[in-house]
Amino acid sequence: MTIWNYVVTAHKPTNVTHSCVGNFTSPQDLNLIIAKCTRIEIHLLSPQGLQPMLDVPIYGRIATLELFRPHGEAQDYLFIATERYKFCVLQWDSETGELVTRAMGDVSDRIGRPTDNGQIGIIDPDCRLIGLHLYDGLFKVIPFDNKGQLKEAFNIRLEELQVLDIKFLYGCSKPTIVVLYQDNKDARHVKTYEVALKDKDFVEGPWSQNNLDNGADLLIPVPPPLCGVLIIGEETIVYCSANAFKAIPIRPSITKAYGRVDPDGSRYLLGDHTGLVSLLVIIHEKEKVTGLKIEPLGETSIASTISYLDNAFVYVGSSYGDSQLIKLNLQPDAKGSYVEVLERYVNLGPIVDFCVVDLERQGQGQVVTCSGAYKDGSLRVVRNGIGINEQASVELQGIKGMWSLRSSTDDPFDTFLVVSFISETRILAMNLEDELEETEIEGFCSQVQTLFCHDAVHNQLVQVTSSSVRLVSSTTRDLRNEWHAPSGYSVNVATANATQTISVRIFSLPGSESHHKGTIRNNRREIILSSCAFEGISYLLCALGDGHLLNFMLNTSTGELTDRKKVSLGTQPITLRTFSSKNTTHVFAASDRPTVIYSSNKKLLYSNVNLKEVSHMCPFNSAAFPDSLAIAKEGELTIGTIDDIQKLHIRSIPLGEHARRICHQEQSRTFAICSLKYNPASGEDSEMHFVRLLDDQTFEFISTYSLDTYEYGCFIISCSFSDDNNVYYCVGTAYVLPEEMEPTKGRILVFAVEDGKLQLIAEKETKGAVYCLNAFNGKLLAAVGQKIQLYKWVLRDDGTHELQSECGHHGHILALYVQTRGDFIVVGDLMKSISLLIYKHEEGAIEERARDYNANWMSAVEIVDDDIYLGAENSFNLFTVRKNSEGATDEERGRLEVVGEYHLGEFVNRFRHGSLVMRLPDSDVGQIPTVIFGTINGVIGVIASLPHEQYVFLEKLQSNLRKVIKGVGGLSHEQWRSFNNEKKTVEARNFLDGDLIESFLDLNRSKMDEISKALDVSVEELCKRVEELTRLH
Amino acid sequence: MHKQTHTHVWKRIRDREAGKLHASHFANRIKWNRISQLQLSNHKDIVSPHKGAINSLQIDSTEGRYLLSAASDASVAVYDVQRPTVYEAGGVISKHSSIFVVDKQHQQAHKYAVSSAIWYPIDTGLFVTGSYDHHINVWDTNTTQVVVNFKMPGKVHRAAMSNLSTSHMLIAAATEDVQVRLCDIASGAFAHTLSGHRDGVMTVEWSNSSEWVLVTGGCDGAIRFWDIRRAGCFQVLDQSRTQLGRRPTILNHSMITKDSSTKLSAAQKKHANGSGSRQQLIGRVPSKGPMKQKLHPGMLSTQDRATAHYGAVTGLKATEDGMYLLSAGSDSRLRLWDVESGCDTLVNFETVRLQVNKPLQLATTQDSTLVFVPCMRSVKAFDMWSGNTYTILRGHYECVNSCWFNQQDQELYTGGNDRQILVWSPARSMADEMDEGPAEDQDNWSS
Repeated sequence: MTIWNYVVTAHKPTNVTHSCVGNFTSPQDLNLIIAKCTRIEIHLLSPQGLQPMLDVPIYGRIATLELFRPHGEAQDYLFIATERYKFCVLQWDSETGELVTRAMGDVSDRIGRPTDNGQIGIIDPDCRLIGLHLYDGLFKVIPFDNKGQLKEAFNIRLEELQVLDIKFLYGCSKPTIVVLYQDNKDARHVKTYEVALKDKDFVEGPWSQNNLDNGADLLIPVPPPLCGVLIIGEETIVYCSANAFKAIPIRPSITKAYGRVDPDGSRYLLGDHTGLVSLLVIIHEKEKVTGLKIEPLGETSIASTISYLDNAFVYVGSSYGDSQLIKLNLQPDAKGSYVEVLERYVNLGPIVDFCVVDLERQGQGQVVTCSGAYKDGSLRVVRNGIGINEQASVELQGIKGMWSLRSSTDDPFDTFLVVSFISETRILAMNLEDELEETEIEGFCSQVQTLFCHDAVHNQLVQVTSSSVRLVSSTTRDLRNEWHAPSGYSVNVATANATQTISVRIFSLPGSESHHKGTIRNNRREIILSSCAFEGISYLLCALGDGHLLNFMLNTSTGELTDRKKVSLGTQPITLRTFSSKNTTHVFAASDRPTVIYSSNKKLLYSNVNLKEVSHMCPFNSAAFPDSLAIAKEGELTIGTIDDIQKLHIRSIPLGEHARRICHQEQSRTFAICSLKYNPASGEDSEMHFVRLLDDQTFEFISTYSLDTYEYGCFIISCSFSDDNNVYYCVGTAYVLPEEMEPTKGRILVFAVEDGKLQLIAEKETKGAVYCLNAFNGKLLAAVGQKIQLYKWVLRDDGTHELQSECGHHGHILALYVQTRGDFIVVGDLMKSISLLIYKHEEGAIEERARDYNANWMSAVEIVDDDIYLGAENSFNLFTVRKNSEGATDEERGRLEVVGEYHLGEFVNRFRHGSLVMRLPDSDVGQIPTVIFGTINGVIGVIASLPHEQYVFLEKLQSNLRKVIKGVGGLSHEQWRSFNNEKKTVEARNFLDGDLIESFLDLNRSKMDEISKALDVSVEELCKRVEELTRLH
Repeated sequence: MHKQTHTHVWKRIRDREAGKLHASHFANRIKWNRISQLQLSNHKDIVSPHKGAINSLQIDSTEGRYLLSAASDASVAVYDVQRPTVYEAGGVISKHSSIFVVDKQHQQAHKYAVSSAIWYPIDTGLFVTGSYDHHINVWDTNTTQVVVNFKMPGKVHRAAMSNLSTSHMLIAAATEDVQVRLCDIASGAFAHTLSGHRDGVMTVEWSNSSEWVLVTGGCDGAIRFWDIRRAGCFQVLDQSRTQLGRRPTILNHSMITKDSSTKLSAAQKKHANGSGSRQQLIGRVPSKGPMKQKLHPGMLSTQDRATAHYGAVTGLKATEDGMYLLSAGSDSRLRLWDVESGCDTLVNFETVRLQVNKPLQLATTQDSTLVFVPCMRSVKAFDMWSGNTYTILRGHYECVNSCWFNQQDQELYTGGNDRQILVWSPARSMADEMDEGPAEDQDNWSS
């Protein structure tokens, strides 16, 4: 591998961090706007549900997302602030359907310490100012002028240091904030301040309230006419205003999200940490609040945001499970729940661990993630490409074409499958037993190759051969009519539809060439054209004999072709066939790399089908195999159904508990996980921890080992030892005692899988938590607290085995992440970056070889190759270090040199070698080594090591793309990707942003030309090189 | 900055990986967990080569790796605190001996006590020493040769360079003289002299919010703020000026409060404010530029004579966030000042007794939760916001002069008249190490 890395997202973030509702895209539109940490999505609420309008990346981690409406405006503006202190105000341009930046800026300060409880961004309901709490002790004000433009920001000192929440109060003549804070003695209070814009200071506000619920954590400002604020605690909810104070006790719960139901603010939805949604009602007589009432409604995913849409429809955004669209019913269902889940939106976050497996043994990796948390924990099987679920297959060699036919025009299902060979045509049909059986249509000519078949009106079928066209009754199967080609001519290509009489056209290559303005050269062997409409846009697709596909936008009224794009799908001739799945038309391109062409977001997408080689395909919708496809491949005819048409396929296996570590064991065909189950009724400490064994096909629990009270499963691997042929699961644990800050005891458990059961073979007590385990030279290497410890597997006299410690290495703060390669050990420390250790066989000792002296707080490490190690750290950065064996001095050799730095903007929990795509040996991309990573936001990404030449080329492309593709809100890509932590900010180096580079393919032709000119490389060449990269994920 | 509860490290790691605990808060809590466990280190020793009192300690800010110490025997030494010289007790205890020592044997060594030794902030290629021999020397670290030398008008008490500076290379020097001198490494000459103190200057500290702002503490009890681009000082801290009643209450608002006690206190505040409005005009130092300039050349003489401590100001420490300044005085008081307003925050630190005749080097944690103060033979850690004693670190046999907190490793280094440099670190569980040792032996026997 190399130090030149290419980082690309295979699965976008799905963790919903913010959501809001308003009239953003037009005064009449009701929009739901969702933030997924580094992306925003704009949806339109329509009678059909939520309709996506825009999904764009933000060059920052979103800290605040708020809609507001300046005076005199008919629709809302969007305010976004990022964790790295950038902000922007966005407006919708309905002409272009794009976001326009109204204002942007930097709100960072030299002084002040970043707040501990998260950044707060709020907008005065009367739109006089934006308030930001970014640093302890400072409240930043960005005032609006009369025209709704932002003026220069200033800071006001805030004496309350430990601020929990700040909100603007409604209905105040001057902008007034209410501050929820904790004092030195851990008591919580609220206080109000008026913002005096002229004096740039606070004035003590109209009221305050001391000694609230110790768990008070959230303020909900109440709009007019009631005004005031709701203070949500863990055991009480308080309504507080200048002239009223009402409190009610609640069932102990931690409220994570709220959504206002009515514009007058009398009802609110509250979502708690267990996924329970409740309705809070402010009871009032006119403008006088008389009491509060809370009523549980039902269970959803654990909410991170709640947005009430309209007519009892509610969007529940989640960080720990799938987000949901729910409906609140007036009457409870059988289980007493008022909540009806209408739709689920997949969320993989948080991915705490994953493994890469090839369950189907097809040479294609699948990622199995530990996703979600608490009750929403699950395993997700993530697979690239579209799968075919085989229903039936027959051995048939040399298929040249296939068509499905119906037995009568009214029959909704297909009956016949016409299979054409080089010198004969055979008919398959569904028999009464729903089996596919060879049959005959007497009227068809079966001794020659069929060129085309179709259903015709009045229960008739059409067969076209090179010499004639036959019309056959589908009921009697007799020949009705036949047209013979004039002698000396033969039919090459034919097509037809049901209502018109047959139309046959004979093409010659020069003819089609003129049709395409000379863009197709003569030397192709075969051209197949197909025109189709995706999402209302017509395209002409043109498959060439060498595996390339041209696509054009087709103007159906003028017949003009525009926007030519050329992609390479494979190396063999392609045949195109349209089919529909879920009422949408797609195109199947059969070749050595079968592909489905579809459209999403008005963009043509290509998704590979997980089959090796397909020569022909035709839709076959029979009663026994509804919505199926007949696929001809490698001497076989297969009938099967196709997956949903999308690039990544995700299968969810809900666990109802939180899986933290996973590993796969090839030999026993099982997965093992470390998981924990919460008992929310009895507080945080009542957790039960398990080691569970799952079947790798059904994902059912087949065996469980319960850990001791207070014992946590920390790590699991599958490994074998020297002089022992068995394969074991090794589990590292920690005893987390309430009175200790750091575990002083743990265990290593060695299990064998016997008859599908976990059998404990050996156990070894450790003096600390076992954070990590690795198979190492036929031994077991454990990271135990501050120490790296090597255990050997020893046969005792009684024939049993035990783990015996052999040697260790001290000097870590906490060795959390360990990877090994040969005799080398790479340690990712809690706070002391990466160190490299070596095991010396002769001495039986582990010694430090080198380390990185930067103070990186690690979250994952991986060994890229002998010399280069990859790390992810706490401030969402990636970096690489290199071993410097040739250094002149001890000092140089003892130092790992930092060779790459990059801000990913994602918290990486795990790296694993592997690939999500099938590696075809013939392609260049197939040779590029890759590492997969999984993050808290549910991102699955790929880091590829590029050859230097390619890196240099792409770096130039990236810097040109930065000029052409402007970040949303004017945010800078260069700044976004700069390595940044509390110690330093430096420009990214030796890492490229694949997401930016691949967006080249979405540019219009003129922008592509612009870049092509700047780079002096043809657009075709650029497209080809970027498309190759898209095959990495 | 706040009182933080201790929860289990392992649980925090779990909460971080699930996204329940934001990564930066995770780091802050872990740091606090470690800081709260500081004790005399059971795994790290710094071997002091000094034969006199340790006066100054500093870790370089670039790598957080090299400790620079200065002592009364005119010696200066550098240690690698990351990579030990040797391990003892089976790899458990790391010994850090000096990488080099510049002592009287060295041709260019100082003649008398070195009171201050600091790293050049940009890299560790240079360091600066100030001595009672009236000299400030700038050293090349690799050759240990003096590259620039400044002759001062008296004993040097403290030298300081700005960590923020991108446009100057100035050493601010506090000496016996009433004037503060700025020595320019780039030119080798004095850039400015700052006049205002009425007695020798004990201590000097650069602002953490601006590379142009310097704070000095004098034997005259004054703490002066200087903008080195302008003549004269722009602020003198006044121990009689406090934050009470600084912020006005709503005047034209009808006061509505729920319980009588609040009403009373609000009314009191209002009253206090009303009567103190005149005082406020003077008391509240405006933060805006034009006002500052208006005041500054002819600052009211009463204000210019203000003192921060009775007696000498012996120590100054700006908090990392740049918002507060801590000062120690020979009146055995420790004060916490709000830099923007120049007001005493009135936090009452339980100092009891401080050394009077020597500059003291204070240290704070990064999040300003704790301040470490040499209190005679012990070092006290105070809670910054309550002034309560958090812990007392006892280990030195004589008076402690200097503290340095290593933010990167959450370790405290202290130096005293007993010539020792002690390391205070989070406890490392030794049971672990001891237990695995014998196990190894057993294995050897059995195999």
